[in-house]
Amino acid sequence: MLTIRDIHKTFNAGTVNEVRALQGVSLHVPEGGFVVVLGGNGSGKSTLQNAVAGSFFVDGGSIQIAGEDVTRWPEHRRARLIGRVFQNPFSGTAPTMSIAENFALATRRGRRRRIRWAISRSVRDELRERVRGLRMGLEDRLDSAIGSLSGGQRQALTLLMATWLKPALLLLDEHTAALDPKSAEQVIRLTGEIVGGLGLTTVMVTHSMQQAVNLGDRVVMMHKGRIAYSFSGAEKQRLRVDDLLGRFEELRRREMLDESTAALLRESYV
Amino acid sequence: MTLMLGALTIGLILSLLAMGIFISFRVFEIADITVDGSITLGAALCAVLLVRGVNPALAMAASFLAGTVAGTITGVLQARFKINPLLSGILVMTALYSVNLHIMGRSNIPLLTAENVTTWADRWSQALLGVADVNVFGWMVAGRDLGILALVLGIVTMVGVALYGFLRTEVGTAMRAAGDNPQMIRALGVDVESYRILGLALSNGLVAWSGALLAQYQGFADAQMGIGMVVWGLASVIIGESLTGSRSLGLAIYGAIAGSVLFRLLVAMALRWGLNPNDLKIVTALFVFGALVLPTWVGTWRRNRTIAETAKP
Ligand SMILES: Nc1ncnc2c1ncn2[C@@H]1O[C@H](COP(=O)(O)OP(=O)(O)O)[C@@H](O)[C@H]1O
Ligand SMILES: [Mg+2]
Repeated sequence: MLTIRDIHKTFNAGTVNEVRALQGVSLHVPEGGFVVVLGGNGSGKSTLQNAVAGSFFVDGGSIQIAGEDVTRWPEHRRARLIGRVFQNPFSGTAPTMSIAENFALATRRGRRRRIRWAISRSVRDELRERVRGLRMGLEDRLDSAIGSLSGGQRQALTLLMATWLKPALLLLDEHTAALDPKSAEQVIRLTGEIVGGLGLTTVMVTHSMQQAVNLGDRVVMMHKGRIAYSFSGAEKQRLRVDDLLGRFEELRRREMLDESTAALLRESYV
Repeated sequence: MTLMLGALTIGLILSLLAMGIFISFRVFEIADITVDGSITLGAALCAVLLVRGVNPALAMAASFLAGTVAGTITGVLQARFKINPLLSGILVMTALYSVNLHIMGRSNIPLLTAENVTTWADRWSQALLGVADVNVFGWMVAGRDLGILALVLGIVTMVGVALYGFLRTEVGTAMRAAGDNPQMIRALGVDVESYRILGLALSNGLVAWSGALLAQYQGFADAQMGIGMVVWGLASVIIGESLTGSRSLGLAIYGAIAGSVLFRLLVAMALRWGLNPNDLKIVTALFVFGALVLPTWVGTWRRNRTIAETAKP
């Protein structure tokens, strides 16, 4: 369960580079809920995920995960509750370390790490089984450096790592955007299987309206650091790509209107 | 032969330094100049304690601890105060210069009669061999020198194996990941800054140990002995990598040891052939410079050549 209340974040406040990335976002995702986040470039989707994950502290508002107020928790502490897959396939794995070692790290997510062998026989056996389930032939390459794999393979493994210990919340940030269509398809299918299979509470950012239509039980569309539209329940079920395109067009027109109004005001008063 | 034996022993002693540099330079990609101060710190503290009659094993333990404290301070400057890694190292190294002089009370402490690990090695080799000199492949060498070599080899092997084992534990793999991909390991619940501090502490502990052994082998500790040691260690690690040419952990640690020994042997030979000892540091620096830029140059040159050749009709 995730509850976000009116969070704000401004980068480089008070400078010429000031960016109001989040301007009062509230969102509630019930236990087992699956929210898909859409929005144009720079609308604040990644910032929203980073705020929840704790990459920085928000300027205002509060964040609750699984009943705990994590607003002031540092990122590594929140990791106990959160599994994460990034847009960049290089971000989610340690490239010079082996597949097995990467998973060994994931099996201790948010737990105490001790002075004992990282890779035990039982972890290795279980790992081989789960990796076999990916049908990528990686079960025989557990000792290869993960950096030698393709982006799609790495994203699939990262997803498996993020969910090895069932997270209270799964955050996916355009995790198929950097992949070729076939790998993206594969990773999305795996996402559906894992999220459905474990009943994970999930927030997935995507650039693909098709994915937004197919997956999840709620779609929110962000614009300029706010949630502009939200579709849930039967409305979400009926949602078509064309509907979403229409809303995008609407946002774009409104923005142009804003800009022309601003220009008009500037001309008259400045 | 005695010369080679000496070079081999010093090379092994400095391989502890090389393993320390391996942690800071290869795991965390920091050129940690703290080591210039912490190798002297280890030597100074060990020498002072030995002169006071403290048990050599205890003196060595104290040196290791002192090194970890120095590394921790550098790590805290980086992690908590967000000071640039290079500058953090420079600050601690500079401060250590005064600390070391205070510990020693003067700039040089001889260990003429003080009981230390080399006197132990001497005694054991006498008891074991029964004679003062031994014939090794036709050369006569002092049993004492062999004993010390065996002792140092034992310590280095032990440290190498322990380091390898540690880096494969849960804590050790998290430490390597903290250097490899901080973003990823933070998302898996690791406080990257603490691990960086731990790594630098371990690294400088090993370096201080190297200093403690060096002081006992040379028979003195000197306030200047640390100058340029970081570059020396970098050279050893880089040579080791070209020797083993592998990214596997065990081979990398072995490479750091072998690199240190090989480098010392090369230096001993160069000195023998008339290299002015004053030029040693500049040669080392040039060597590291070459090792850092040559691979890129060679790569570019190869690529250009391939392009030129494919362009030919
Ligand atoms: N760490 C940061 N520092 C400064 N500006 C940032 C930072 N992160 C994001 N921004 C800015 O915040 C805005 C929203 O970015 P982001 O959340 O990444 O958008 P997207 O919806 O494309 O994921 C953008 O204008 C971006 O430049
Ligand atoms: Mg983004």
